[in-house]
Amino acid sequence: MPLLDEIEAAIPGLRAYARALLRDRDAADDLVQDTLETAVARAGQWRGEGSLRGWLCRILLNRFRDGLRRRPAPVLALVQDPATPPQGEARLMLAEVHAAMGRLPEDQRAALLLVALQGMSLSEAAQVLGCAEGTLASRLARARAALRQMTGRDEGPRPRKGNQ
Amino acid sequence: MTPAPLSDDEALRLRHGGGDDRQRLLVLAGTDPALAARLAEWDRQDAAITALYAPVADEPVPQRLRAALHAAPAPRPRLPLWRVAALLAILGCGFAAGWGTARLTPPAEAPRLAAAALGSYATYASEVLHPVEVSAADEAHLVKWLSKRLGTAIRPPDLAAEGFRLIGGRLLPGDTSPAALLMYEDDLGRRLALYVTRSEGQETEMAFAEEPGAQAFWWIDGNLGCALAGDLPRDQLRRLAISAYHGLTEV
Repeated sequence: MPLLDEIEAAIPGLRAYARALLRDRDAADDLVQDTLETAVARAGQWRGEGSLRGWLCRILLNRFRDGLRRRPAPVLALVQDPATPPQGEARLMLAEVHAAMGRLPEDQRAALLLVALQGMSLSEAAQVLGCAEGTLASRLARARAALRQMTGRDEGPRPRKGNQ
Repeated sequence: MTPAPLSDDEALRLRHGGGDDRQRLLVLAGTDPALAARLAEWDRQDAAITALYAPVADEPVPQRLRAALHAAPAPRPRLPLWRVAALLAILGCGFAAGWGTARLTPPAEAPRLAAAALGSYATYASEVLHPVEVSAADEAHLVKWLSKRLGTAIRPPDLAAEGFRLIGGRLLPGDTSPAALLMYEDDLGRRLALYVTRSEGQETEMAFAEEPGAQAFWWIDGNLGCALAGDLPRDQLRRLAISAYHGLTEV
C-alpha cells in the first residue's frame, strides 16, 4: 500500500487517540491535522521500520507537547464531552472514568491511552514515548492507581510497590 | 515456598507484554486472588476507556483531514467561528487560534466569570441543607432583593422546559458589584448554578469552560456578566444557557 494510503487508513485511530488526549473534538482534529501535515512533510524520513502507527503517534505526541508549552496556565480548558453519550447503568461509571482521565497528568494519560485504547504493547508504547519500558511500566502503574482511586474503587489492597 | 508477590510495575509489564507474558500472568493470578483482583480492575479500566473513546474511530473522517494528506499546508481557522468571534470580541485584538499558529490568551474577564460560576457551583450545589439563602417560594422577594443589590433588574429565567426549576438564590461577593447566584434543580436532583454579576466588559457570544466535575457556559450581555455552571452533557448545558440568556433580561 502506498504510504499516503497507509497514513489515511490510520486517521480514525489517531482521531480517537487525540480526542481522548485532548477531550475536545475540534482541538483533537486540529492536532490530527497537524500530525498528518507533519507526517507528509517528513515522509522522506519514514524508513518502514517499526509500525507506521507508532511513528504517527510519536509525531502526534510531539505536536501535543508543543501545544502544551504554548498553552497558558490550564485553569480552564475548552473541552468537550466523551465521544459517545453512554447509556443506562454504565453511564455513571463511564462518566467517572472520563472525568478521572481528565485529571490525570498529561504524560500518564498519554501513556495509558497508548496501551488501553491503541492496544500497543509496552515495548511499542515505550518506543513511541521515547522512554525505557521500566519507566513506562511505572507511569502506567501510577496512572492506573490514580484512576482507581478517583473512580472510588480503592477499597482493595493498596497498589504494590517494588518488593525487592 | 511462596514466590514474592508481583509489584504493579511487574504485573503491568507482563500484562502489556507478549502472549507468553500474559499467559504467565494469568497462571500467577490463578493462585493469587489479590493479583486477580488487580487484573480485573485493570480490565474494567481498559473496557471503560475503550467504550468512551474507541467509537471516535467510527465517525466519518472530516474532509479537511483527508485533504491534509494531499495539499500543501495552508493557514486555516482552527476554532469554530463563533468561538473565534467571542474571543476576538473580548480581546479586542487578533490572536491566531489553535495548534501551531499562536498563543491562545484567555480574555481577562472570562476566566473570572467562569471560575466564579464553577466555584459557586462546587460550593453550593452540593449543599444539602442550605443551597440557597432565599428560597424560590419567596421568588418576588428574591428578585427584588437581588436586583437591588446588583443595581440592575434581573429575572430568574424559566428553565422548566428543560426540566429545571428555581429553588432559590443567594448573594455573593463579585468584582464590579455583588453577584447573584440562582440555583436550579431537576427531578433527578441535578443542580445548576446561574451566576450573574454587573459587567463592564464588551458583549460576547457564549463560550465554554470546564473544571473537573463541572462545566460552564459564560457570556456578557448588556451590563450583565453571566455564567451557567453544572455537570450535564454539554449540549444540554448549552440549551439551558441559551434559555437563561433569553430569560434573564426579558421583561
